[in-house]
Amino acid sequence: MKEAKKIFKTALEEGRTFVLEHEAKDIMKAYGIPIPPYSTATTADEAVAKAKSIGFPVVLKILSKDILHKSDAGGVKINLKTEDAVRAAFNEIMENAKKYGQEKGIDVDLSRGVFISDFADMGTEIIVGVTKDPQFGHALMAGLGGIFVEVLKDVSFRLIPFTESDAREMLKELKAYKILEGIRGEAPRDVDALVKIMLSVSKMVEENPEIIELDCNPTFVYAIGKGALVVDARILIDKPDK
Amino acid sequence: MSCGSTKSIDIFFTAKSVAIYGASASQNSVGQAIIQNFIKPQYTGKVYAVNPKYNQVLGVPCYPTLQDIEEEVDLVVVAVPARITPRVFEDIAAKKIKAAIIISGGFSETGKIGAELEDEVVAIAKKHDIRVIGPNCVGVVDTHSHIDTFFLPEYRCGRPKPSNVANISLVSQSGAFAAAISDWTAELGLGISKLISLGNKCDVDDDDLLCYLAEDSTTQVICFYTEGYDESKGRSFFDTAKTVTPNKPILVVKSGRGQKARAAASSHTGSLAGSDKVANAAYMQSGVIRVDNFEHMFDAAKALAMQPPAKGDRVLMITNGGGLGVMTTDALEALNLAIPSPSAELENKLHQNLPAYCAVGNPIDVVGDTDASRYDAVFKEAIASGEYDMFVVGMLLQTPSLGMDITNVIANYQRQSGLPFIVVSMGGGFTTKAGEIMELMGVPTYATGEKAALAAKALAQYGEIKYRDKFNKTLISDKP
Repeated sequence: MKEAKKIFKTALEEGRTFVLEHEAKDIMKAYGIPIPPYSTATTADEAVAKAKSIGFPVVLKILSKDILHKSDAGGVKINLKTEDAVRAAFNEIMENAKKYGQEKGIDVDLSRGVFISDFADMGTEIIVGVTKDPQFGHALMAGLGGIFVEVLKDVSFRLIPFTESDAREMLKELKAYKILEGIRGEAPRDVDALVKIMLSVSKMVEENPEIIELDCNPTFVYAIGKGALVVDARILIDKPDK
Repeated sequence: MSCGSTKSIDIFFTAKSVAIYGASASQNSVGQAIIQNFIKPQYTGKVYAVNPKYNQVLGVPCYPTLQDIEEEVDLVVVAVPARITPRVFEDIAAKKIKAAIIISGGFSETGKIGAELEDEVVAIAKKHDIRVIGPNCVGVVDTHSHIDTFFLPEYRCGRPKPSNVANISLVSQSGAFAAAISDWTAELGLGISKLISLGNKCDVDDDDLLCYLAEDSTTQVICFYTEGYDESKGRSFFDTAKTVTPNKPILVVKSGRGQKARAAASSHTGSLAGSDKVANAAYMQSGVIRVDNFEHMFDAAKALAMQPPAKGDRVLMITNGGGLGVMTTDALEALNLAIPSPSAELENKLHQNLPAYCAVGNPIDVVGDTDASRYDAVFKEAIASGEYDMFVVGMLLQTPSLGMDITNVIANYQRQSGLPFIVVSMGGGFTTKAGEIMELMGVPTYATGEKAALAAKALAQYGEIKYRDKFNKTLISDKP
């Protein structure tokens, strides 16, 4: 896919092995992976205008080649419901990023401003990820978020590429699969939509083997028929000729 | 990777003339132990010794170099110090020999200097199309051709025999394990076709052997012991295995459940992966059955070699001892096999054919005073009912009423029905002999219910791999 290659080239030229959030989302979009509406803004006014066109509430996140862990740098503001809140959040994020740079002794590039996105409704939290194993190559992981993955390490893997039935099987392998089937009177989750995301990620990695790690975390899966959304995405790429 | 021609591998097992480079007259040396294997009457090919120090070794003519041998040589076994192997390979190339096994250690496993030597040897081999097994290995045992490069005296390390029924081949990264397994399977009386120790895998690797054994008509089950794969070799093993498993079962014991990959990862996914979970996924996805240890491997391999895979997960247990029935069904249940009770119709038929004091359920207990006829009646009705995919038969021979004709009954029903049968027979000398007879008739026999259950599980697992969606899975979840 040309879109992805272009983005990876830019990243490497800037000395990054990670892609910025809007870049990650651009790639996802190109592969038909559902994501909440998003945009970027370099000034507070622009952020407000973009928020209005996306619709409140929104999320603002710092976009900088110098910041990988955005929360650590005070670079994330969520559930912003008004124009004033967006304006204030924009300024605060910029301030925090500057401070973060001073603490780390780096000159943080702020020219890209912020990533701005619809604040997605909470769904069943899923993590879909990719790792590159030294022996077996790329593998996709799936699991339910929160304690299931953090404490119980309830995740399953398949080598990329895999088939649709592999994807369904790997979800069924999860101890928490019952949650996706709907427990305590809840409607079953939209497993078809999740499977589609898994297959799209598999295709993305197959066509872009320079991806060495990827997290779609969280991915929200909604009730059956209501789809799924990749809310946050991280992509790490390999340095060429390493 | 798809399999190309396996001809270049075949010669390691079919060589009609073998030269032992580094053959030695000193007792207990590697160079002598190997030549001893080839002067046994079973090996019908020609053998030559190569060593400038001798004119003959144990009566085998000894030459200063390969080029001094007038006849053609198919295979060279190299047992000389690492530092002179490059020279040996020049000699091999000059003689136009296409296969060599390097037994010697002292190569990449020892560090940089050894690795350079190995590279040098590989370069010569590549240039002259010489296939190389090793270095740092014990080589191969072929129980049909009697090519045997294990430098281990037979009184310490028994050699397995081929079975007329079905055979297993094992590829091991570790030479010590290959030897121990040779010794152990010889004792167990398990039918073995080939044992291969790959050592440093400088040329011939798991993929080559997998392709070769997939086509080998004397190998019914392929077993691997591996500690890990070189970079990207895990992937090619996966790709090759995928093409093999629909036709032949592959079992793997993989050690080194290491955390290295985990430590290196910086993303969430990477930190959760670890290489073992990915390895597990790779095996599952390619239809390779991973087992925990060698005992499980050979219990499973024996069943897979001798019996057809199951077409579903429904097992019927028939026994002449209640305790054995319960123990075995417990074990079957723990392994997620279905143990459905007979339908009312089948139950009726069974009651009509059995004494009233027999317990009809699952297990079916034909009780201690039975002879073979009650088993016969159960098999007849249960097979006809179509309610079961597999039969586990408890055969306790301590009772005087059960004659050896039971083995005929079991074997005949197995053959007629084409359904997999497994026998569990606990006991001492008499039982062991009966088990051997049972296995000569083609039905695998185990000393405990747990082992039999494991074997049944392997047949169901492979059935699911082979028949995919057509496998009749009645238990929904595979989770405990």
